[in-house]
Amino acid sequence: MAADTAVAATPEDTLESLQREVEALKQKLDEERQKLNDVRKILKGHTAKVLCFDWSSDKRHIVTSTQDGKVTVWDAYAGTKESTFSMPSTWVMACAYAPSGGMVAAGGLDNKVTVFALPAGEEERAARKRTVATHTSYMSSCLFPNTDRQLLTGSGDGTCALWDVESGQLLQSFQAHAADVLALDLAPSDTGDTFVSGACDRAALVWDMRTGRAVQAFDAHDSDVNSVKFHPSGDSLATGSDDSACRLFDLRADREVARYAKESVLFAVTSVDWSVSGRLLFAGYGDYTLCGWDALRGQRAFVLCGAEHRVSRVQRSPDGTALAASSWDTLVRIYA
Amino acid sequence: MDMMVSTLQQQRSVTEQLRREAAIKRIPVSSAVADIVKFINEHEQEDCLLVGFSSQKVNPFREKSSCTVL
Repeated sequence: MAADTAVAATPEDTLESLQREVEALKQKLDEERQKLNDVRKILKGHTAKVLCFDWSSDKRHIVTSTQDGKVTVWDAYAGTKESTFSMPSTWVMACAYAPSGGMVAAGGLDNKVTVFALPAGEEERAARKRTVATHTSYMSSCLFPNTDRQLLTGSGDGTCALWDVESGQLLQSFQAHAADVLALDLAPSDTGDTFVSGACDRAALVWDMRTGRAVQAFDAHDSDVNSVKFHPSGDSLATGSDDSACRLFDLRADREVARYAKESVLFAVTSVDWSVSGRLLFAGYGDYTLCGWDALRGQRAFVLCGAEHRVSRVQRSPDGTALAASSWDTLVRIYA
Repeated sequence: MDMMVSTLQQQRSVTEQLRREAAIKRIPVSSAVADIVKFINEHEQEDCLLVGFSSQKVNPFREKSSCTVL
């Protein structure tokens, strides 16, 4: 009866007017969300989950890799695609920009890393592509260790490896993890001969690239270590894990010094990165959120809820002016 | 016999690894944390994501003005 009177009381409510209002409200919602999120740019155009991305050292370009086997180079200022490469397999789980900006590397379920020279000309595209690394299981993470000539990879076969880009030769193998390696990060020092790996054996290992030996091990997590990132100071590192916590380990103290977690945060940490000063730790989660942790207070500073699916990776731009986050909802969002 | 040799080798490498890890020089957490705090304080002003931009013009990702000079 109440419903009847309500309908009767507003006879001007036609289907069209209601639909119009729905549209207007949707638009307003979007606007409000935009304000809250401070999203500056959205890289839109992928049709599948974005699994990984990497900033170029020119602070302007981004390379993305997706679940449907595409590797795309974007102009982040304009939000436009610059070139796209097709990979032989789906699930391109890792990609990296070379320090010179003249190359990108990508790979995943094909167990390999393929290097593409930029800019991509149509006719010579085949000649500008080279396979560098081959693992016996999926390739989960790759990076250029401050040089275009070498490539560091982490794999589901439990090893990390250093490759020569030109010849494709294995320079050094790093074996100590008991399970799949999921993440890598290079120490921010000038010499750059130390790196850290995170793996399914719940440990993060610090390696000496020259000797090929693990120098330190941090195994405080209760589940897979999905992400590792050196603090900008280079003396400590952050990890993000399936146990929904991020931890801060100090290398010189050789122990955990902070833990970033909340009872209300239940989902896995997929990716972590630091702000330039190392005061903020950004973490992407499986529950579609992106959190900023105050590194010193150990408290959550903010939550960004823009993504409509799992956040796959977060990375600050090289000059620290922007934060980008890729998601399984096919988009890359840039906050600045 | 081969099995024994390989297990012995494996055990030896594990022991060596642990020896190396045990020999690391460690510093107290108090001084390690003090260094982290010092680093953060020194660099806080350069951190755009923390303190924001001095003016929006510095932000390379700002919305471009719709007016253009002809």
